Amino acid sequence: MTDTSVADTDRLSGNKDMIVCEGVNKWFGDFQALKGVTATIKEQEVVVVLGPSGSGKSTWIRCINRLEAHQGGTIIVDGVELSNDLRNIEKIRSEVGMVFQQFNLFPHLTVRDNVTLAPIWVRKRPRAEAEQLAMDLLERVGIPEQADKYPGQLSGGQQQRVAIARSLAMEPRVMLFDEPTSALDPEMIKEVLDVMKDLARGGMTMMVVTHEMGFAREVADRIIFMESGEIVESGTPEHFFTNPTEERTKLFLSQIL
Amino acid sequence: MTTEGEGTLAGMQPKRVPLYRDATVVKWVTQVIALLLVLGALFFLVEEAGANLKAKSIPNDFDFLGINPGFNISEGIDKDPNTGGRALWVGMVNTLRLAMSGIVFATLLGLAIGIARLSDNWIVNRLASIYIETIRNIPILVQIFIIAVLLGSAGRLVGDTGPINGWFMVSSKGLAVPRIFPSDGFYQWLVVLAIGTLLARAVRKRRVTHQDLTGAISYPNLWFGAVLLLVAVVGWFVHPVFGFLNNLFNEIGDAWGSIPQSGAKLVLAAGAVTASLLWIRRFLNSKRSPAGLAKLTDDDMFRMIFAVIGGLLVAFVVTIGWPGLSSWIINSGQDFWHFLGDKFGDGRTGNPVDAMRPTIVGEGTLLNYGSQGLVMSPGFAAMFIGLTLYTASFVAEIVRGGILAVPKGQSEAAAAIGLNRAQALRHVILPQAVRVSLPPLGNQYLNITKNTSLGIAIGFADVVNVGGTVLNQSGKALPVIAIWMLFFLCCSLTISVVVNWFNVRTRIVER
Repeated sequence: MTDTSVADTDRLSGNKDMIVCEGVNKWFGDFQALKGVTATIKEQEVVVVLGPSGSGKSTWIRCINRLEAHQGGTIIVDGVELSNDLRNIEKIRSEVGMVFQQFNLFPHLTVRDNVTLAPIWVRKRPRAEAEQLAMDLLERVGIPEQADKYPGQLSGGQQQRVAIARSLAMEPRVMLFDEPTSALDPEMIKEVLDVMKDLARGGMTMMVVTHEMGFAREVADRIIFMESGEIVESGTPEHFFTNPTEERTKLFLSQIL
Repeated sequence: MTTEGEGTLAGMQPKRVPLYRDATVVKWVTQVIALLLVLGALFFLVEEAGANLKAKSIPNDFDFLGINPGFNISEGIDKDPNTGGRALWVGMVNTLRLAMSGIVFATLLGLAIGIARLSDNWIVNRLASIYIETIRNIPILVQIFIIAVLLGSAGRLVGDTGPINGWFMVSSKGLAVPRIFPSDGFYQWLVVLAIGTLLARAVRKRRVTHQDLTGAISYPNLWFGAVLLLVAVVGWFVHPVFGFLNNLFNEIGDAWGSIPQSGAKLVLAAGAVTASLLWIRRFLNSKRSPAGLAKLTDDDMFRMIFAVIGGLLVAFVVTIGWPGLSSWIINSGQDFWHFLGDKFGDGRTGNPVDAMRPTIVGEGTLLNYGSQGLVMSPGFAAMFIGLTLYTASFVAEIVRGGILAVPKGQSEAAAAIGLNRAQALRHVILPQAVRVSLPPLGNQYLNITKNTSLGIAIGFADVVNVGGTVLNQSGKALPVIAIWMLFFLCCSLTISVVVNWFNVRTRIVER
């Protein structure tokens, strides 16, 4: 169960479906960013989405918590369908955490307040409890001593770890990562990836858009390769890196490896 | 001193830096030279002006402040001032009234229009754009003229019956609304309000604690307002119970009046010196860290020297330099307490606040409003409407810019952690937008204050208009101009200080 280094899809076979996407379409003006994306992600599954830039992978995971509205098909998260119903959107957003490339911490709040904001105002938890939770989470991402600093005083890697803690504070069932290490200096990438690996081992359902092949190979249960708004190929890391079937996948791998 | 720590290599002698390259020396010398230059220039200008004025026998004294100005003022706290100083004061009050009401209403209107311009609603959005683009592209003077002409040609509009019943009137003589004024029981009621505020603050604190402990949203500010309102309403009827304060204040006044002058001098001087010493102690403490006293910079030394000089100067002024000051403080303190006592005197059982209906005098072709109501004269109305509309268009753009300056990622992050739109606005967007908007907003407030001087174009009795008349009557150009400059400088500095204070409070900490 904790050994995720191999493509052990059996461990997920009994789990229920966490995210179900069925023929998801999305246009930006005339440009179609998503062309009928269909995929099912099981509970506790770690999915890494790969693909060249502009292939629609960020757009896809941004659709899953409605930062972008999809225009065709259905998205169901933990049994709740994402539609124009504001109540469903709020419910899904409070169960789906998201980590951004640019961290997007709130610069006017301390690290602690960044983490406690949502528990206090959305979950309506007592402040002391929320602060205890925040300290636990900061401990988990390895920076409890920075709690009273402001985001501007932290390094990029520390900021991204705070952002992860902020998302975890809502106790989400799914975590979405939108290129979490792309804005980081090389020596800070590891500290963020370590936190993410830790999360994956803890059984979190994760969808990760990244260019970190090492992370994908080590942690992912499944790799989804996208190009031009379509899912080209989907399979275990072993299958994907050693024996891809599609021509476009081979081309992509030949360019990055 | 500046060379220490250099010769780390063995055998290397610390080199003596020539004076002209020594940063400390250069800094001090340039500062002293700059100061001397400014003082010299000032001295030269004052001397020249004085000599020239004397040669042409133009008086430049301030006597006119004390003698009858010989003219009436169309509106203000005193329409028939008996000294030139009083006349200028009336003008200043008019200017301040105009500037303050303009600032408040331009902010509110600008906020509404700025948010409207960001609206998704096409019509609202377009209307706001049209407003901004029209108003801010027409010179303010032209707008004021147009509004003055429109108001001047307005017919009389008054409902003598029904619910309005003469409470509101509009005509070419201005806009008249009821005068609301503090009445008999006002000061007793103020005491009630003060107690109510304390009570409401306690309740708010309890609500905040409640929210912190249980997590339930408990609306502390709403509770604050409700408690205060309740106390105010109850106080409206029971305020006479505070009439007893009358005696208390009178006795304090008597006690104040019996302080000996020498004692007051001593206390004031000692207070000034102690305050400066205490400030230095606090300042040094702030520089002290566990590692010992931090190195003091020249700037720090400057500050401490100025603190000492300031303290000694004040002590000198109150003891020797200005002997009248201590007796003035004693007398005015006594008067103040007796004044307060008077406000709580016998028979003050009426309503705290009353309203008077505007009356009409000389009804006919040249009707005028009597002293009963609060009349906004056509001049004030034109200036107020013109300044408010004009400045609001700039404030709207500042508000829009402030909100747009918050990166999109902030609202996305707020949405992603589950905050709804209102919560995101309150906790994430607005705090950051305010920070960006404050400095340019302060500029607009300065502009409004300075633009009040356009009142001279339509005969509004602001400080420039009144000062101009005083200048013409007395011929004392330089003194009047000096008063104008000093007045506007004071206004601007006050606004700057207030805006900067808010600015510091909303600053974002970075490394």
